[in-house]
Amino acid sequence: MKFGKRLKRQIEESLPEWRDKFLCYKDLKKLVKLISATQPSSKAEAEFICLLNSEIDKFNAFFVDQEEEFIIRQMELQEWIKRRVAATSAAAEYARIGTEMVNLHGEMVLLVNYSSVNYTGLAKILKKYDKRTGGLLRLPFIEKVLEQPFFTTDLISKLVKECESTMDSMFPAAAAAATAAREEAVMVVEQRVFRNAVAALVTMRELRRGSSTYGHFSLPPLSSPDADLLQSLQLPSPIPIL
Amino acid sequence: MSSSLPVLPNTSEEKFPALPDPQHVPLERAIRRNPLPSQRPFFSSPSAFSPDLNFSSTLPHERHTNNTPFVSRSLNAGVSLPSTYLSNMEIFQLPNNFPKDPTEITWCPDSVQGMVNCSDGVIMGNNQIQNSSNKVSNDLNKQNEWWSDIMNVDWKELLDDTTISESQPKVVYPSAPSSSNVSMQQPQTDQSVPCHSGEACAVTSPSSSAATAAAKPRMRWTPELHECFINAVNQLGGSEKATPKGVLNIMKVDGLTIYHVKSHLQKYRTARYSPDSLEGMSEKKTTQSEELPSLDLKTGVDFTEALRLQMEVQKRLHEQLEIQRNLQLRIEEQGKYLQMMFEKQYKSTLDKIHCSSTVEKPTTISSDQTHSTAKIELPEAGNSSTDSKITEGFRQVSNKWKMPEVEPSNEKEINDLTSSLPPSKHSRINNEDS
Repeated sequence: MKFGKRLKRQIEESLPEWRDKFLCYKDLKKLVKLISATQPSSKAEAEFICLLNSEIDKFNAFFVDQEEEFIIRQMELQEWIKRRVAATSAAAEYARIGTEMVNLHGEMVLLVNYSSVNYTGLAKILKKYDKRTGGLLRLPFIEKVLEQPFFTTDLISKLVKECESTMDSMFPAAAAAATAAREEAVMVVEQRVFRNAVAALVTMRELRRGSSTYGHFSLPPLSSPDADLLQSLQLPSPIPIL
Repeated sequence: MSSSLPVLPNTSEEKFPALPDPQHVPLERAIRRNPLPSQRPFFSSPSAFSPDLNFSSTLPHERHTNNTPFVSRSLNAGVSLPSTYLSNMEIFQLPNNFPKDPTEITWCPDSVQGMVNCSDGVIMGNNQIQNSSNKVSNDLNKQNEWWSDIMNVDWKELLDDTTISESQPKVVYPSAPSSSNVSMQQPQTDQSVPCHSGEACAVTSPSSSAATAAAKPRMRWTPELHECFINAVNQLGGSEKATPKGVLNIMKVDGLTIYHVKSHLQKYRTARYSPDSLEGMSEKKTTQSEELPSLDLKTGVDFTEALRLQMEVQKRLHEQLEIQRNLQLRIEEQGKYLQMMFEKQYKSTLDKIHCSSTVEKPTTISSDQTHSTAKIELPEAGNSSTDSKITEGFRQVSNKWKMPEVEPSNEKEINDLTSSLPPSKHSRINNEDS
């Protein structure tokens, strides 16, 4: 399947607020086609570069905005845990903390995924551009992309790991409590976050399966254990993720 | 961002065609004008060789950060603003500042024009996406099914196998001592070429919101900075009482503006977890759960199990993303290294004028990746250049090698990288190489 289609599917699976924040791959592709059709068209090339720049700007703005929110939520969650877990709190609250935690974790991972998907899209479209024009834009451009805020996911990854360790330390105790409180617990397990995460994994495997234009910038296929995991995940899906 | 699109830049659109020269010089044409001894090699992938063509020169982004008042200064509060960046700056521009090119600075109107068109494109894209999203979110029943189906999968078994046998990045830099040493950066002196296009773009940006955003640099918050913020808020008696100005005064962080604090405070207020009153996040969540079904307890799946499962999948995704990221970074480094090799190669070729000198063996370029090695060796089979499955890597590699041999008459053909070259050329070069 083509990258554009995969991207589209993934966008459809993503959180509604996120959908217009992904790379406008289709528009970029149109511009690339325009360039090759009208050979000496400096206009189309300038448009292409401009759209690329504004896209990167869009990624940065969104990424940094989300990051800011996650920093706040993470901190608040930790505070909440400190406050409530110390005092013997209701089981329902425990479950809610757990839910919030998992969802925050999921959203943060999805932000890392957002970064990765957009990076991949940029690399793909630049490859196309180079192919059409015979230029060598990809390398210097990507070099710049690597320094962009939206590609620097270190902090988010750190927060993700903190979330995981908090979960680990919290859950043995939470397990019993949550089970007891099942009826009262606000069941807001964010299916959409989970769904989205699954879709992201599937897409990643698909992308890594191989490119029709394999090159030294291509990534090796995803390892098999995950493929198995995903195989089982996608089967029960009534909406075809692939 | 897409909200307001003033008509203003359209005027510049009209100006554009009147300009005599294509301001935005496409690569090949610029290079054709380049008076280097041998023009022939430039035709297909020019800049890999040319010592003059500096892609990364004069990025307005770089220059502007110098003007930013608060780039990595140490701050009295002991908190350092980690990174700021100007939004709406041109992150990258087509390499138009070839030193010898007379048209170097004149393409601004063109880029403005591009901005106009491209933001139109963005809007179109958004609409399309929103349309399709409605379709998806409507089908709640299916989602429910999906969920319960998911939960019926035997997860224990699947997740027990957590060993990540992902091939670790093992990109080898053939004979290079260290990839950082062989960085591609051209001497900084090249960057003295003035480039106004970045400013022009920012000023006449079609999106007024983006223009205002450019005026005030965005800020990247960190947990440390946020902690400092919380302290300030608490000193002022809580998030409801605290005012942006008060917080700003207490924080005393250099470069932090009322604008940053205000929006952060807003976010902070909505993100408060208060167990007593279901405000903040949870409130938001309940409204969301109206439109999206919550986990149905009757599926018989334990609540904590569901959470654990979700966590596990997310964790897996994160692991994979990190691995992929590392891979990508290394591959990019390798690409940089490759280009440097080619450049070096070209320079030596130029010196000797004869191309047949010291072309490196393909295996030294991408030694670890068996696939690329295999592909590079393909030409020895003879007709492989016409093979449609020919890889990008090979194409780039081989193009660069055979370039010195390319006849000027082949110009058109070579300009299009997708067209394959006569196999004879391949074999000739390969014979010489091996």
